[in-house]
Amino acid sequence: MTATQDRQEKSAVSGKRTINLIQAVTEAIAEEMERDSRVVLFGEDVGARGGVFMATAGLQERFGKQRVFDTPLSEASIVGAAVGMAVRGLRPIAEIQFADYMGPGFDQIISQAAKIRYRSAGQFTAPMVIRTPSGGGVKGGHHHSQSPESYYTHTPGLKVVMPSTPYDAKGLLKAALRGEDPVIYFEPKRLYRAAKGEVPDHDYVVKLGEAAVRREGTDLSLIGYGGVMPDLEKAADALGAEGVSVEVIDLRSLVPWDRDRVLSSVQKTGRAVLVSEAPRISNFMGEVAYVIQEQAFDFLTAPVGQVAGFDTPYPYVQDKVYLPGPNRIVAACVQALNY
Amino acid sequence: MIQPFTPEPIRYVAEDGTPVQPLPARYTPELLRELHRLMLQAREFDRKLITLLRQGRTTFYAQSSGMEATQVGLARSIRVGHDWVWPYYRDHTLGLAMGVPMFELISQCLGTNSDTCRGRQMPHHFAAQAQNFVSISSSIASQVPPAAGNAMAQKYLGVDEITVCTFGDGATSEGDWHAGLNMAGAAQAPALFVCENNQWAISTSIREQTASETIHIKAKAYGMPGYYVDGNDIVAVMEVMTAVAEGVRAGQGPALVECLTYRVGSHSNADADAEKHYRTREEVEEWLGRDPITRVEKLLEKLGHPVSAEERAELIARTHREVDEQVLRAEATGQPDWRIIFEDVYADVPDHLRQQEAFLRAEQGGGRA
Ligand SMILES: Cc1ncc(C[n+]2csc(CCOP(=O)(O)OP(=O)(O)O)c2C)c(N)n1
Repeated sequence: MTATQDRQEKSAVSGKRTINLIQAVTEAIAEEMERDSRVVLFGEDVGARGGVFMATAGLQERFGKQRVFDTPLSEASIVGAAVGMAVRGLRPIAEIQFADYMGPGFDQIISQAAKIRYRSAGQFTAPMVIRTPSGGGVKGGHHHSQSPESYYTHTPGLKVVMPSTPYDAKGLLKAALRGEDPVIYFEPKRLYRAAKGEVPDHDYVVKLGEAAVRREGTDLSLIGYGGVMPDLEKAADALGAEGVSVEVIDLRSLVPWDRDRVLSSVQKTGRAVLVSEAPRISNFMGEVAYVIQEQAFDFLTAPVGQVAGFDTPYPYVQDKVYLPGPNRIVAACVQALNY
Repeated sequence: MIQPFTPEPIRYVAEDGTPVQPLPARYTPELLRELHRLMLQAREFDRKLITLLRQGRTTFYAQSSGMEATQVGLARSIRVGHDWVWPYYRDHTLGLAMGVPMFELISQCLGTNSDTCRGRQMPHHFAAQAQNFVSISSSIASQVPPAAGNAMAQKYLGVDEITVCTFGDGATSEGDWHAGLNMAGAAQAPALFVCENNQWAISTSIREQTASETIHIKAKAYGMPGYYVDGNDIVAVMEVMTAVAEGVRAGQGPALVECLTYRVGSHSNADADAEKHYRTREEVEEWLGRDPITRVEKLLEKLGHPVSAEERAELIARTHREVDEQVLRAEATGQPDWRIIFEDVYADVPDHLRQQEAFLRAEQGGGRA
């Protein structure tokens, strides 16, 4: 991977480099494969092709076909095989080409990966990572745009993360691979190249379960994760221009999630607006809202606001209208502020 | 009687256009020319749609160039509008040859108001009620168990329809594929499963896909006959498919037909550089030499009814004109407005969706009353 080497050379001087989110994913995998020979990577088209989004480009050349390989077209086989490998001592990274296609592997995820530790009282465990691009905004229609994270946050035994910056993408993936549990690692595909940011040259991890405060504020807590984060920032800018001080929080991990960070923020601001692009019913943010009202009710000066996708399949035309953009987020904030 | 489980693909016409077994009487020059016309039209449709893609007027396209004989041959072997079809996303040539109007296809690809599916699916995922051509799902092999069910319903209802279900070679690795074939076999339902084996699933070759020598032999495990056909030989495809379809219709239970063919273009526009990444130019060249359209042209020439260069050029020009016209016609109908987000989610609109719709009406304004 000459590109990586180039970047590394530059970094020897600066100590950090600017990369995009997809490069962060590639780097995390490469570095973990380098340091731990148990790490293997497989899925549909991840090998010679380098993944349909090129997230695994160059890895087969570098690590060989034994460690980076294409599988038959079967998500049940991919996830199920990962469970078996993990039980037998490897650290598999299974790529599912689109989160929408986790369906055929769903039973393996919820019946095997999520439960083997519990049902065997820890005699057998499945530390593994399922990586998958998710979310909309790429003109993909419903089969290439869904946000299925709530199916997985609802399943005990799984950890669920979704980064929105290159720094987090790299650090969370490394932490996930070094952990002892199955992790569903969603990659917000519309940020693959759009999200750029600095990563340090040295090895680091981002612990699962800690939210990031993107900006501090005193009037309202704006909380999201994944592909919507740039829209939260835009909304905070717009409100800032009107003199509203918005605190922006990126959850990064959904299971476990950072209750302390969220609650202390809401206790400070008294208002919370929760943003996610997944359909609203049974949306993970419903859980966040519940905990806020349970634990910080006395601090609230307005009902907790929620901006979500609609309770419809994701459409092809009008896909931009479907997504909760900055305007819809601002409107929800204004409602909370004027309550 | 067509033989199942042949070691080599069944063929009638060799690559150079020579018949390798007697052509059945129905393959008159007129019929062969009509099949040639359909295949050439489909090929040019591909070419034009790729241009539309480059112009940014559509966002996704999956070519079937190289696979025309398989799809046209299948279309001409079933009773259109009577039998039912559960296709996959590379089947526009099948659709065209079944008589789905080009305007409908193009409208779907452009997501215009004239799209009978109302812009909800990504391009190249159409549905056509008049042809019983059931809505395409991107999720590989997810159509196979429903196709089995469709066939079971046909048996239950006592109708003489059959169900046709198509898929690529990659699809045969999915659990749904095995579940669907097993179900249809157990139920002895009138289902015709057709594998369009174009030998690549994006960058995964058939050799990496399965250790099985062929796809059609998998039929054995599900208690049905498996047929192996040269998918670039339109005569072979039509002969086998027609005979097998009639057997299925006659109550002999389901069958699997594997058409060995090749996708000469990229997997989709997302993968325009196939040769660079995963396959060799030589392999593509070799298959270009087995082109299904050229093969019929050579056959017609040998039969003394050649397609003249002018005829060919005129046919191509006509297809291009037709596509251009239909594109303009479709684009003139405009884009569906935001309301399409809420309609057709349920048969009756529940309260929470009404509320979300009201929210969006306030935000966006307008919309159909
Ligand atoms: C369940 C599922 N997994 C993955 C994909 C992504 N994908 C789209 S097409 C494709 C390859 C399909 O190959 P094949 O079945 O041989 O059909 P072909 O495209 O070659 O005609 C893949 C992996 C998908 N659409 N659905």
